[in-house]
Amino acid sequence: MPHPKQTLQHCGLYASFELRRLLLTRRGLMTLAATTVIWFFLLRYAIAPASDIIVAEGFQQVFSDMFGSTGLSQLFAWPAPELAIYWILSLLLLPMLCLFFTANQLCSDLQRGTLRLLALRSSRLSIVLGRFSGQMLVQCCLILLSLVATLALATWREGSLTLPMLNAAAVIAVNLLLVLLPFTALMSCFSAMVRSSRLAVSLAIVSLGLLVALLSWFIVYFPDFLFLLGYLPGVQVMQLLPLQGWQTLQHAVLPLVQTVVLLGLASLLLTRRAL
Amino acid sequence: MKPIIQCTNVTKGFGSKTVLQQLNFELTQGDTAALIGPNGAGKTTLFSIICGYLRQDSGSVSLFGHKPGSSALFGQVAALPQDARFDPAFSIGEQLDFYGRLQGLSSKAARQETLRVLTLVDLAEQVQQKAAALSHGMCKRAAIAQAFIGSPQLILLDEPTAGLDPVNALHIRQLINRLSGDVSFMISSHNIFELEQLCNKVLYLEHGKLQADTTSENEQQLQQYLTLQLEDDNTEVVTAAIGQLPGLLSIRPMQKKELQLCYDPQQNANFDLELLQCLAANGWRYRNLTKGQTLEQKLFNTA
Repeated sequence: MPHPKQTLQHCGLYASFELRRLLLTRRGLMTLAATTVIWFFLLRYAIAPASDIIVAEGFQQVFSDMFGSTGLSQLFAWPAPELAIYWILSLLLLPMLCLFFTANQLCSDLQRGTLRLLALRSSRLSIVLGRFSGQMLVQCCLILLSLVATLALATWREGSLTLPMLNAAAVIAVNLLLVLLPFTALMSCFSAMVRSSRLAVSLAIVSLGLLVALLSWFIVYFPDFLFLLGYLPGVQVMQLLPLQGWQTLQHAVLPLVQTVVLLGLASLLLTRRAL
Repeated sequence: MKPIIQCTNVTKGFGSKTVLQQLNFELTQGDTAALIGPNGAGKTTLFSIICGYLRQDSGSVSLFGHKPGSSALFGQVAALPQDARFDPAFSIGEQLDFYGRLQGLSSKAARQETLRVLTLVDLAEQVQQKAAALSHGMCKRAAIAQAFIGSPQLILLDEPTAGLDPVNALHIRQLINRLSGDVSFMISSHNIFELEQLCNKVLYLEHGKLQADTTSENEQQLQQYLTLQLEDDNTEVVTAAIGQLPGLLSIRPMQKKELQLCYDPQQNANFDLELLQCLAANGWRYRNLTKGQTLEQKLFNTA
């Protein structure tokens, strides 16, 4: 059994190595550039115009008339409309992007045999946890970057940066990381199984699709098991959409538990497989 | 002496094919062991099991009393795995630094250690080079360098000089020779002459079974060998003349112009001197006279 202190130290080393991969390697810089371009277009052509529409006089009344007093009306309660749009877009987009972005946690190293060099120096648990932490750290940086850009846009329109806006940005960042945790851990599992990141993504999409289809079919015949759908990764996203503020953390337990289970599974898969 | 590697009844198969069958051997501190065998004999599989990359189907393996892959072995056991490559995105220096950090060194100590091990394989100037920019031979040397990070007590090398030019292969052999004794080695190679120079123990694997487990001390005292390489192709007359020498037990033609002589030293302690006198008296020139059997002869020409 690896020593917990050593495991933590190794996790930190792996995580910082992944951050260096983002900031100091050509591939990492390309990722940064791609993220910047995507968010530039989202900010320029989605968030900014949508924010203008939201703040336009009468829109909120029209929206309430159309959708009634559903939870979506809560979107108007965000301190800046840019943050509300960012909240919706990122909650819906990032889990899917995460599958692609974090698919190569172990695949390339497995394929190259680099894991053999690492496995002589650290436990496979450390490798799984370290790479996972690294991916979360990198995603955290990218989320913070895009949030800063969104805040800048909101500040430019409002004329000042307020404390509620900063608080809302913190709420968004924490929640997005919580949403991404199980998806990243899911990709830890698939990347421990195959030697190609493309195959890992395909496996993840097919497996999730099959799981939903099979569960739905099962529930048709056994409606008492409807609650099982509530345990799928990302299922809390739709519940989070109409919420805001720190009350969103009421949905934090499920992704945390899912993450622990999936990381345990990833570690088991890597421990049992031949390198 | 407590064994550093102990394999007991190790069996491993892939599907219906059994690759290793009931393997038993042990290595002690300071041993430099050669792992020899034809392609598909199970050498890399055995290596992988000892390194903890694979699990045996049955039997037990222990290194310093621990299971392969155990955290107690981190830093104690190092290896050059076959075909393991570095991450092409980072420089060799960065990656060796990282390995050093994983082995518990500080950033500064890890950098010093990186430079030390790269100097051992004559690659110190390439420290900033990315793995993708290095030639195959350089990558191999860098991979050997990573095995020397820290102070491992056991180093497993799978084909360490395959793909290296003669000069660098010689450097690697000298490096292993210099460190053997303080460090135990297990070397898998098809270069039998290299293993003969480096190793004091030989594990010969064939069809997944250990066919021979010999050590240099296992020389039979009742009979000794000489290998005579002649300058001219006159083995028939030479054989006839040498056959008259007292103490000769057998004489075998090996390659062209080469004879292997087996004699009883108790019957004639000066057999080698008398052989030389016989050659000189008949004016027969020789190119080489080697005492003892080569590893190749021991393993493959025992008949």
